[in-house]
Amino acid sequence: MAALMIGAFYNPHLGAELVRADGIDHLAMADPPTAGDPHWPAIRARYTLLLHDYLGQLSEPLDERSIERARTLAELYRTPWVAEHFQCLHTVDGTYNLNYVFPPLYSEDFLERFVRNANALRARLDQPLVMENIPGFFDVRASQLPEPVWLRRFFDATETGFLLDLPHVWLEAHYRGLKPERWLAEFPLDRVVELHVAGVEEDNDLGGPWIAPAEPSDEMLGFLAHAVTRCPQAKAVTFDAFSPSLTAEALFRSVERIRETL
Amino acid sequence: MSDRALQDDVIRALADAPYRKSAAWRTRGLADPDRVERFARFLARHFYHERVVHFFKYSRALARVTRRRPEAVLTRPGFEALVPSIVLGSRQTAKAVAQLVVTHVGDAGDAGAAIRYLGELLRYEAAMMVVEAGPRIWREDPESGGEGAGSGEWSAPETVEGTVLLELAYDLPVVLPELLRPWSEVPQAPARSTKLLVARSPRGRVAVARSTDAVAALLRLADGRKTLAELAQGAGLEVRELEQTLRGLVELGAVRFSTGS
Repeated sequence: MAALMIGAFYNPHLGAELVRADGIDHLAMADPPTAGDPHWPAIRARYTLLLHDYLGQLSEPLDERSIERARTLAELYRTPWVAEHFQCLHTVDGTYNLNYVFPPLYSEDFLERFVRNANALRARLDQPLVMENIPGFFDVRASQLPEPVWLRRFFDATETGFLLDLPHVWLEAHYRGLKPERWLAEFPLDRVVELHVAGVEEDNDLGGPWIAPAEPSDEMLGFLAHAVTRCPQAKAVTFDAFSPSLTAEALFRSVERIRETL
Repeated sequence: MSDRALQDDVIRALADAPYRKSAAWRTRGLADPDRVERFARFLARHFYHERVVHFFKYSRALARVTRRRPEAVLTRPGFEALVPSIVLGSRQTAKAVAQLVVTHVGDAGDAGAAIRYLGELLRYEAAMMVVEAGPRIWREDPESGGEGAGSGEWSAPETVEGTVLLELAYDLPVVLPELLRPWSEVPQAPARSTKLLVARSPRGRVAVARSTDAVAALLRLADGRKTLAELAQGAGLEVRELEQTLRGLVELGAVRFSTGS
């Protein structure tokens, strides 16, 4: 395995600190830079930037406007790959929108849709496409395939890479009552290009842990160390926290601990 | 039912609390009802947290004076009471949540009295949040030619539902950028009668523009039936001036045209 890049998300409120920082190889971009961001030129000049914006949900084909937006951002960032999510979060007619990542049904029909639309998007990009797994808090009984099998078939039918979000896998294992390592082993790890790692926190509504812009626990870092040894094509690990509440101290300490772990 | 329609049904159940309670949803037995309910509550808090923090960012910047953070309402009983009726993204729920914020921050007592324009600021922020609500276009229909004025033949213009005209006693646009910069003394807004137009594009982009009496008249008259000549006469504008104004209003999302077939 080549040396892994270790990075974080670009949090604009921490721009001044990130411009001066050491030990961060790349920054993932969840939003385009704002016109008034004074740190953006230095950030762009200094870092490898990964396009990780919302481009659209691939249950439907992306329209021309979304594809052009993706191409423009990819060029602006000089990104080595473009990321999207296995998600379907708004209804076809636009009436209902969850405004939060939500997985599709793991069915043959949705597999065919995602394969077709991901291939169409990939053909329009100048960079490789990677797709990120999304956690489910509950199973929908109409799903026909286990998520890892569905993902394997998706990757087999497309030349896309896998952005493995480890806390997402950890949470699913937690709510299924499985050991995270056992659940992880089901996923197509040979396709992993990038890994996300972050913390989880108790959520009162869910009555259990959920994704949070928090430092990864020792347990999560141990899970990362385990996962990385099973992802021979991995190129990068990203501390997945993007929030105005994130402190510079938490970001830098997390990246440092990830580096120490690996 | 197709898988895509089924997915839409699950999305609707998570977004629409009354539907989640309906027999139509419950008898389908698609998912564990307790898990669905918990996830829906989580989504509702997340959905409105994001919007309250965004749209009430100016009164949030004043929280060190008012001691009232707008997003605090999301963990208070008022929001809990709303949960059984919440429909994510609906105008009605946006109004109800915005009203919770207006009441909470506006009731800051002596701390808020130092900010003479606080009530109007909250009204402005609430209007932004409500205008943003409603169904949106996520993908362009390849047949439609996209949003905006377009090149089709213009017929009777129509004010887009949800567009708001605010009449204020303070010139808020002057003070808003100052509130987001570092300050020690509370920035003050000039006491000056100000009309603002708040509108949303079909893709959900909210825009604000200063307005005039002519624009206000135009928005009142544009009902999808009156011709350009009738509108020009009613708003007291030359036709050329009217067309230019309409172009700007279409860009903002305040007015739409049906295009010639």
